[in-house]
Parts: sequence; C-alpha cells; structure tokens
Amino acid sequence: MDSTPGSSEYVTLVSGDGFEFIVPRSTACVSGTIRRMLDPSSRFSEAVTGRCVLENMSGLVLEKVCEYLCYNLKNKNQTNVPDMEIPPELCLELLMAADYLDT
Amino acid sequence: MDNEIPLPPPPRIRHRAPNTPTVPSSLHKTYHQLSRFDDRSSQPSSDPALFSSDDIPASGLENYHAPAASGCRKRRYRGTWWGEMVKDSKRKRVDFKDKRLVDSGVWMGSDDSGVDSLLPSEDASIWGEELLHHSTVGRAGEVAPGEIAAGAQQRVVFRKAEESREHQLARAIVNDCLEKGQDSVDLSIGGLQQIPQGLLSPLQHLTKLPTVKEPPISEDVYSSLRPFLRMFLAGNSLSDVPGDLFDLDALRVLSLRNNRLTEIPPAIRKLTMLQEVNLAVNELRFLPWELLWLIKKGDLKHLTVRPNPLWRIDEAEISHWFSLDGAPASSPEEALTLHNYEGPAPEEAWAPIHVATGPVRLFNMEGVMVDAPPTSSTSQSSRVPSLREVSLLAFTRSPFSDLISDADMADCPGLVPSLLRQARAVRNGGGRCCSVCHRSFVIARAEWIEWWDCSVYENGLKGPRSSGEKLRPLPFRRLGCSWACVPDASR
Repeated sequence: MDSTPGSSEYVTLVSGDGFEFIVPRSTACVSGTIRRMLDPSSRFSEAVTGRCVLENMSGLVLEKVCEYLCYNLKNKNQTNVPDMEIPPELCLELLMAADYLDT
Repeated sequence: MDNEIPLPPPPRIRHRAPNTPTVPSSLHKTYHQLSRFDDRSSQPSSDPALFSSDDIPASGLENYHAPAASGCRKRRYRGTWWGEMVKDSKRKRVDFKDKRLVDSGVWMGSDDSGVDSLLPSEDASIWGEELLHHSTVGRAGEVAPGEIAAGAQQRVVFRKAEESREHQLARAIVNDCLEKGQDSVDLSIGGLQQIPQGLLSPLQHLTKLPTVKEPPISEDVYSSLRPFLRMFLAGNSLSDVPGDLFDLDALRVLSLRNNRLTEIPPAIRKLTMLQEVNLAVNELRFLPWELLWLIKKGDLKHLTVRPNPLWRIDEAEISHWFSLDGAPASSPEEALTLHNYEGPAPEEAWAPIHVATGPVRLFNMEGVMVDAPPTSSTSQSSRVPSLREVSLLAFTRSPFSDLISDADMADCPGLVPSLLRQARAVRNGGGRCCSVCHRSFVIARAEWIEWWDCSVYENGLKGPRSSGEKLRPLPFRRLGCSWACVPDASR
C-alpha cells in the first residue's frame, strides 16, 4: 500500500481488554477507519507507532474482525466468494464494530 | 306396590337431631376448624368438584352454620368420584381478605370485584377499561398501590395476547382446511391487515383425504393425495406479504388481488410450483425479477398484474434498448415492436421478451444511494460482502432477532438501528437472494429495472403474439448484492 520507508509491513491491533493482533498492513487497511488512522500523512500517533488501540472492541470481536479483514482481502478478485461463518451471539457487536471501522 | 323396595329416608331428616341450639363449649374449637368448608365456596369455580360423604351430619343447608358432632369430621374428597383422593386436611387457613380477592369466575352487574373476568365479547376492552378504573378507586383503601399496578400490568399483558376477531376467523379457516384436507384455502375478504406469524405455516403439512367411492372401481377413482394448494388472500388490507407464505412450496395458485401491497418480496421465487398468480388492484409500481424467473424456469403460466400503478416504459429512464435477438436496438420503436412473421408463430412469439434495461442505481454499505462508484478504488467493486452485510445476515438467521426491542435498537450508535430494522423487514419478507450470483443478502448494493414483455403469460397462454404486435413491457426490479453484481455490459 502507500507505505513510506520506515513504516513496517505489519501493524498491531489492540482490543479494549488488551489482546493484540499483529496483521499485515494491507489487511488492516481494508477497514476505512484503520486506513485513515495509519495514513502516514495524517501524523496520528497510530501512524507513527503502527499500533491501533480499538478501545470499544473486546478481544473476541476483534479476532472475528481480523478474520473478516483477511477473508475480504483473500476473496477480493474472486467471482465465487465463500460465505463467512458468524456466530449469532456476536452479530450485533460485529455490526457495531463494522459501523465504527467502516467496512 | 308392596314389592317395591323402600327408599332410604332422606339424609336431612335423619340428621336433624344433632342440630341443637345448645352447643357444648368444648366444641367451639372444632367449629372454627370446620368452618373452612363454607369458605370453600369462594374458591375459583374451575376447581375440581368437591364431594362430601352424605352420611355425615350437618351436610344439609339447615345445618350450614351448625357445628358438627365431636369426633365426626367430614371426609372430603377432591376430584371425581371414581378417582377419589382424600384432600390434604392440613392445609393452612387462608386469610379472609386474601380469599375475597380470589376471582370467582362469575361476573355480575353489581359486583365490582369482577374486574378480573374477561368476556370474549367485542366491547370487552371498552368496559374492561372502565372496570379497571372502578376497581382501582374502590380498592384503593384496602390494597397497596403496588399491588394495583401489578394487577393492571397483568391485565395489559393478557389483552395483548388476545387475538383479533379477524385473526381468529382466519385461524379457524386454516384449521378447517387442514382437518378436512381441503387444498383451497380461502381467506379472501377477511379484513386482514396483516397475517400473524405461524398462521400459514401449518399448511405445509396439508394432505388431501382419500375419497371413498362405491364400486365398481375404475382407474380414475385413484387420485393423488398431494394437495393442489390454492391460497386466496384477495380483498384484504394487507400491506406486506407474510414471509410464511413463501414456505408453502406446494402452492400452485396464489391470489393477492385487491390489497395494499407496494412490493412483492423476491422470496416468491421459493414457490417453484406456482402456476397462477393474481396481483391485480394493489399499489405495485414494479414486480420482482424473480417472478420472471418463475415464468422462464418455473411453472408459472398465468400472471395477472393489471391494474396496478406500474411504471410505464414511455415515462421511465432507459439506458439500453434491446431488439429481439439480444443485440442493442437502434431505436425504442424497434425494440417495442415484434417483427413480422409469416405462418406458424415462432418460439419468440410465446416467450417473454427483454425490451430494455434501466439505469443501475448503486448503494453504499449502509444502503444509502450513491451517485457514482468511486473510480479510485477497484476493491469497491469486488463481490466480497461487507462486514455489516455479513453480520446483518447472521442477525436475520439468529433466533433472537425478534427479541430485540425498538428501545434496545435506539441505544445502538449511528445507522445501526435502521440497518437492524431493514434486516428484520427482509427476514419477515422471506429473505433476499442476489439475482446475479444467488447469494443471500440483506442490504441491496445495486438495483435496476428490466423491462420484459410477458403479454402471452398475462392472458394465460391462450395464444402467441401476433405478427408485428406492439409490446407492452412490464417493469421487473432486479437486486444485486455487490457492485460487481450489475447487468452484463454486453447484455
């Protein structure tokens, strides 16, 4: 993506309860909100440190979010996209996470 | 006469002796214990019958208040006489006040304790309201206010559970059809404004009853027990089609004539056995594209859609005109006329004809229309559903999607409440399926109108189009689940 020299290939997503997920930058940038957070021209602290703290998400939700980000990137150019399983008890929290992350 | 068996003397006469005005003071205690008997009368009338043995003194009316002879406690039974059970004699004595509040089940005009009774008459709710008012005024002195509130709350819940008259009637008709094995379900002119969930689903299991015929038995006596299910919902005030309807996969004839429908859910595609559909006299401006699929791939032969305020092709915006062979037409006139043919009608004179396609409207992830797709990012036109879409789909499939109240929804941030409401509407309509890639979805990302001429099917396949006939295309709305699911550029 639009990586400048010095910015690493991986970024860290941190949940509200302290779980850390290290994902490729391109994967994280599927989300519009994270993309804007990590934009080097913004000079946000997230862009400098490569670490996004998502206070409003639990580790359980963020894990599923990361799964979705990978799923989205993997099937980007496919015509037959497989379904992604979502446990019903997570769907509302995921919906709110999606609203926040703009995905 | 002499041979007649003498009747036993009536017990009342036999036992009149113990009824003495002087009561031994030692018996007062037992009197209090036994007086429970007459209190019993205030118990709910629905209780099982209470029997007392007749050979006991003081069972007559005259002895109502008299104490029983010492040591002679009445045996009391609960239940029927053939399955007798001695009642538990160690029941705690209930406070008199508590007992007064017990509903006797009988309501009388002068009785202000009749609040708890609910007659199934039509104006029950009206006088129920009045009685409730009376009772709160009347009882305010003796009952704690909290108790009144609880009582009122209970009443409200009860009334909600009661079905309206129309629904009861409809349920009775459905049950009758199920019982008699009748495959023509006539719910027309029933004044239904909506169809409660679960009313139609038992019809999935409807089976015809075998007919018994007198011999001689010929070949045509045997008939299939599979129902030729017909559903008539004409002349009601339905504003949406119940999703339950689309689970009746044996449905052959469906009439929704003269209702207030503004949209037919795409889930109609699930009714693959449909042969005849009547959608006339509604408020439809377009038809679901899935109906066309039923014509082409299914069994649908008779489609009645006019009159309806359908969009007209001469007023609509058209982006592509097509001639009969699928090539772009040079002018609308060419697309709107069937070519001249000689002799027997060719195949295309029978089939539905694609006349034109309207412009594609695109929606963003929240279901809000966007003017043009952003050209910068190619990822936007991938077929991957958004995370919102994925979670909404899981929501529609989850069992608790009905349990979330509107108040809970309002607490959610941003556009989430409106998305949830949309998801629930889609679920109630039987779900949606992308018309390009067949994936289930909730939020449509693309929408366009295809104009097809189905005049042959509108008149029930009576005859082919005549040579050089002017086509009268109908608008069919197609939905796509992603920005990649749009009409093929070549067609």
